[in-house]
Amino acid sequence: MSTARVPVMEGLFSDESGEARLLGSRCSTCNTPYFPRSDRCHNPECDVSQVQDDSFGPRGTLWSYSVQNYPPPPPARYDEPFEPYALCVVDLDDGLRVVGRMAADDAGLEVGSKVELALGPICHEDDGTEVISWMFRSV
Amino acid sequence: MHTWGKFADKSVTDLCRVAVNRALGDAGIGWRDVDAVAAASSRFSGGKGWGLNGNDVVEDMGSTGIPVYNMSAGCAAGGNAFNVGYSLVAGGMHDVVLVVGGEKMPKGFIQTSGVDEDSDPEFLRQRCVGMPGPSFWALLCRQRMAEMGTTEEQLAKVAVKAHEVGRHNENARFRQQFSVEEVLASNLVSDPLHLYEICPVSDGAAAAVICSAEKARQLGGTMPWVAGSAVATARFDDGLPRGLAGTVPAGKAHHSEAAIAVAGALEQAGASPGDLDLVELQDNTVYYELAFPEEWGLCEPGESERLLEAGETLPTGKMPLNPSGGFLCFGEATTAMGVFQVCELTWQLRQEAGPRQVPGATLALAQTLGLGGNASALVLKR
Ligand SMILES: [Zn+2]
Repeated sequence: MSTARVPVMEGLFSDESGEARLLGSRCSTCNTPYFPRSDRCHNPECDVSQVQDDSFGPRGTLWSYSVQNYPPPPPARYDEPFEPYALCVVDLDDGLRVVGRMAADDAGLEVGSKVELALGPICHEDDGTEVISWMFRSV
Repeated sequence: MHTWGKFADKSVTDLCRVAVNRALGDAGIGWRDVDAVAAASSRFSGGKGWGLNGNDVVEDMGSTGIPVYNMSAGCAAGGNAFNVGYSLVAGGMHDVVLVVGGEKMPKGFIQTSGVDEDSDPEFLRQRCVGMPGPSFWALLCRQRMAEMGTTEEQLAKVAVKAHEVGRHNENARFRQQFSVEEVLASNLVSDPLHLYEICPVSDGAAAAVICSAEKARQLGGTMPWVAGSAVATARFDDGLPRGLAGTVPAGKAHHSEAAIAVAGALEQAGASPGDLDLVELQDNTVYYELAFPEEWGLCEPGESERLLEAGETLPTGKMPLNPSGGFLCFGEATTAMGVFQVCELTWQLRQEAGPRQVPGATLALAQTLGLGGNASALVLKR
């Protein structure tokens, strides 16, 4: 029996296609990507805002990383006892610079390395349900 | 200025009263001479925030009926209030404006999200990823280390330098001297940043009097002139990882709001970065003392570490940074910081800064940065 899973927040990501995707939008006039979804294009150089749903991922490059060494304040969520986790900023090949966590089992952290979007647990509900968010994994 | 620290028994109004009376005394005027107050208020976003409401200061000092302008811009509010005060005087609206900032901070690192809403990018960032404030600085810092080869020892040396000068400042909260080893042995808060490489929160208050040229001549004394004052917000495409995501920028990621404000203040002053004798910049973390001078053209990209190690960022160096000891020695009392910088610049330009004096300083820059992509900068000259 597979573990029950619930997204940390609805509407931000999906793996329905079998591949992890971030759900955002893109302006067809100026090509600016947005995550999360945006109703309007905020590019001051863009005269005609034409924003449509788009999705992003999975491939990208690690721009930077850090390790969260202490329990973050609310509204962050984590399992007790707190285990440090790695944070990262990734430049996705489709033009989005996005923040996220590195997957817990990933030890290889090097700026400039190739990574890939994944969905994984950031914590668990009391009944053991995995709370899922987006994260990155070295490739 | 009231000293920085933790003052359990004092209210923010108590702290401000001390700062305001010192500023009025320094200017040689009384409370009834003040035409308006520009206050750096932390009560932003519908009541969110901590201490200061400028109206409380006016009520405390005596309700003379003068206008109060409460400015909110996160930690840049002090600089914004100065800009508004300056504009009111320069525009001929008022002759004497009091600028005040004061804060009693809650414990712990500043919470960047107070709104429980799916639509707030800060909320999403905390809930979905778990990235509290210091991790933002850590990510920028790690990126610099990869790009410029900055070492952990060099980061620690920025903190060592801050305390080397800040220990001489009687208004600073943290006046002990640290070694590189002690900085690196302090808790790793957010890799690669250690506890002593990040500024904590403090209580404090600062005030300054801005007056017209005519009024200044009447009062006499040595007063610095405002050569430039600017505020700015962040550009859309500066590439900093704010919120959940942005666009991969064409150039190097940088704090565009700070660069725009600094360039604006320098332009008004008719000065170039190389003309500055000293700079007070917002060093929430050691990273900023390396990145900002390069982003503003004070030195070449990649040159900051060498200047630091050569002692050029000390008051006696070629590019003195934060001779006050900066945020690292004071701790951040959010809205008071922009006004505290005005005090330091004033003392430096009057050659009254004692052991931390930049010899012969005649032109000085101060800069703050606030949540939400706010920044301010000002240039004072003797
Ligand atoms: Zn557009």
